[in-house]
Amino acid sequence: MTQYEGITRRGMLGLVGAAAATVPLDSGAAGAQAASGEVTVRMTVNGSATSLTVDPRVTLLDALRERLQLTGTKKGCDRGQCGACTVHVDGRRVVSCLTLLATLDGASVTTIEGLADGDRLHPLQQAFIEHDGFQCGFCTPGQIMSAAAVIAEGGARTDAEIREQMSGNICRCSAYPGILAAIRQARTEMR
Amino acid sequence: MTVSPIGREIDRVDGPLKVTGSAPYAADYRPEGLVYAYLVQATVGRGTVRGMDVSRAEAAPGVIAVFTPFHPLPLKSPSGESGENYSALQDTAVRFRGQIIGLVVADTFERARDAAALVSADYTVTPSRTSLADAGPGVPQGLVQKLAPGVSSIDAALASSPVTITTSVSQHAHHHIAMEPHATTAVWVDDQLTVYCGAQSPQRAAATIAARLGVEPAKVRLICRYTGGGFGQRSPVWNEALLCAAAARALRRPVKLVLSREQVFTAIGHRAAVRQTIRLGAEADGRLRALSHDSDGELPAAGGWQMMPGRDTSAVAYRTPNIRIDQRLVTLDTPPTWSMRAPAEAPGMFALETAMDELAVRTGVDPVELRLRNYATEDPVEGHPFSSKYLDECYRVGAERFGWSRRTALPRSQTDGDWLIGMGMASALYPAWRQPASARARFRDDGRVAVASATSDVGTGAFTMLAVVGADELGLPVSSIAAEVGDSALPPGGVGAYGSSVTTSTVPAVQAACRAAVKALVQSAVDNPRSPFAGLAPATVRYRQGRIEANGRSVDFRTLLRTMGVPHVEAVSTSAPDKSASQYKFHCFGAHFCEVRVHRLTGEPRVNRFTSVFDVGRVVNAKAARGQLTGAIIWGIGHALLEADPIEPDGRFAAASMADYLVPVHADTPEIDVHWLDRPDPHISEFGARGLGEIGLVSSAAAIGNAVFNATGIRVHDLPITIDKLL
Repeated sequence: MTQYEGITRRGMLGLVGAAAATVPLDSGAAGAQAASGEVTVRMTVNGSATSLTVDPRVTLLDALRERLQLTGTKKGCDRGQCGACTVHVDGRRVVSCLTLLATLDGASVTTIEGLADGDRLHPLQQAFIEHDGFQCGFCTPGQIMSAAAVIAEGGARTDAEIREQMSGNICRCSAYPGILAAIRQARTEMR
Repeated sequence: MTVSPIGREIDRVDGPLKVTGSAPYAADYRPEGLVYAYLVQATVGRGTVRGMDVSRAEAAPGVIAVFTPFHPLPLKSPSGESGENYSALQDTAVRFRGQIIGLVVADTFERARDAAALVSADYTVTPSRTSLADAGPGVPQGLVQKLAPGVSSIDAALASSPVTITTSVSQHAHHHIAMEPHATTAVWVDDQLTVYCGAQSPQRAAATIAARLGVEPAKVRLICRYTGGGFGQRSPVWNEALLCAAAARALRRPVKLVLSREQVFTAIGHRAAVRQTIRLGAEADGRLRALSHDSDGELPAAGGWQMMPGRDTSAVAYRTPNIRIDQRLVTLDTPPTWSMRAPAEAPGMFALETAMDELAVRTGVDPVELRLRNYATEDPVEGHPFSSKYLDECYRVGAERFGWSRRTALPRSQTDGDWLIGMGMASALYPAWRQPASARARFRDDGRVAVASATSDVGTGAFTMLAVVGADELGLPVSSIAAEVGDSALPPGGVGAYGSSVTTSTVPAVQAACRAAVKALVQSAVDNPRSPFAGLAPATVRYRQGRIEANGRSVDFRTLLRTMGVPHVEAVSTSAPDKSASQYKFHCFGAHFCEVRVHRLTGEPRVNRFTSVFDVGRVVNAKAARGQLTGAIIWGIGHALLEADPIEPDGRFAAASMADYLVPVHADTPEIDVHWLDRPDPHISEFGARGLGEIGLVSSAAAIGNAVFNATGIRVHDLPITIDKLL
């Protein structure tokens, strides 16, 4: 990719974001474009009502990390190729790096910080520790968020199914056998 | 009585922070007043930057500064370090495509990124040297040769051998793909710099940053408590981190620079492309008479790590009277190279173990039996005995666990529907390396003992290793130890997390520090007038499982410290190898057994299962050891079947993204049976641990290639083994 093509692609992202933000939504005032070209988005993050006014180019990932200080969600590639930034939007797993914040007015977002029940770890978090489902830990929040959604979707019935469903989440340390064992264990506990 | 945690299944002590997303990595810090930087990279392969237009970038909203070779940030030249041999922005030369030629700083990440795309450059372009095949053979670097009496040359030894095998293999550039892209957050307070930046060797990295910025070493502190993977990529300091620190100094505010994934492919070093030829001369029964290993490795003009794939592999692996290792380096205009997990051993042993499999086929000797017939009990070149070697047991145990006896030697003789089934094996070895290391043990009045060493836990389990060894030494539960790594301000002498050397080197230092801290605690107990043991002779006071005891009195250290009014008592110790170690050759060993399937019609290769048995000395933590060994075997799947970044004639990497450069994913990972012999090395240290972070990757690709041959009858010499090569 040349530098020039880079500009075009980034420009496109910006336009898409702005367009999405100005589409009138059912809720009326929501998603209004601020005078400066910024967009105001109201959403729920880990159960708390949150309002952000941002540059329309801002992704959900960068909003979580740089504006809301929720740095548990990681940027591994910023292109939807590694899964490290996986979070839940309205209960579905998404790569937050390819999700523009401006499209999320009224949405409910859950990140790794919102998964545990207070000090009590989520069964997946506990199982990842017990089965050594990580090493460096950088992909771990994304793996856990993906796994939680896969189990909820009913897509973790067999080892082969878990491996297939989890293949969008790369772990370069290759803790895959531990991750598989952790999902098997948590699958039972989450029933 | 506390049960020793050594060798048991211990959960990582950093686990709770990592599974909740609360472990801070370099890009997670957000100091007050933070601004964001973004790189601009050269878009030609070689030449000169004639001029740059930064006007549009400078006029873009939120932009604070644009640095280029025409408006540089001052950096000193590198001196005496390997790695990049130039400092970015100090001249207009373009050494490779992707070299840093600019840095844009703005108030938000989005504004910095988009402004960087507005910078344009004019170049004078000169042709790039990018092809290893066209540019070689390279310049000889390290010739290793031993010939039997009366043998004139390796060629003569080969010519007189009843059986000869010549096999040439090649592989393209490999990338580390640590999941955390390189990131730096630099904060100056007056003339003191704190850098948050992933590093395998925090103290060496801090010293390098200080030298390149031209400040006193004491003025730089590097913090890398949590680092998203290393694999060699984070052992040097690259230009990007230096520029970030320099920008923060120039702008007098904290700067964060996170590379895009694509930028990491060129701004950070890769494993050199390499071509190798093995020639074996053997008796009809497979016993080796001669072994020759030639290599041509990529060495970029911009600097890098020297690819020497024969030295620690073919010069060590088998008993043979004649050996010649000729390692050559070829200068290319490619991005810098760097050491990557089992840096030379993975490619070197792929070459050797592929050739050994060809010899097994040619002589009709079973591959395991062939290796036993050539078993070395001493270093075949220098003659030093191995400190501890149970590779023969690895073969036996591995063959049994795997079911090697069910293999048929004839290719294409086993099928499962449309799949051809094949089995292969290979032996692994990796040097064991003990460096001088230091550690600190500190009894604290909160009832915990802090055990610290200025190494780094890049996922290797170093935190937990410190906790396990400290707990064992002090007779305390693992939860009573607070492990600390990843900070250059810890006592000097922490070892870098490379060469599989952290555990080997640091365990003795932790043991020594704990013993010295106990001594200091006892001394304090008899010296301090508020202590219940005041005035006693130290020899009459003893430490046992966290308690100080004398004259029938027993006080836990927390109570003692509080009674004395002392917040903590500590000791720092350094531990180095014995002089007697020089008479031994220290290596880890292993045997891989693997089953693959290759689709009869599509040629798709898949790995069905792996069994690997290792001789790695004493293991500290079974859980972390299994993770390291298993993970490295999976890297072998990438090495064999997936990973390659060919370089185009204009110097552009063809696969410089995670969509194009494939690494193993969940679906590529089969059942892996990892087993180790628990045999402490009696000569490496009192504890007997050898490192195990890399050996799993050594030869796992060869075992796969050998199994693919057994399945199909096709020998693939140019990695990776892709469908097109099996049709």
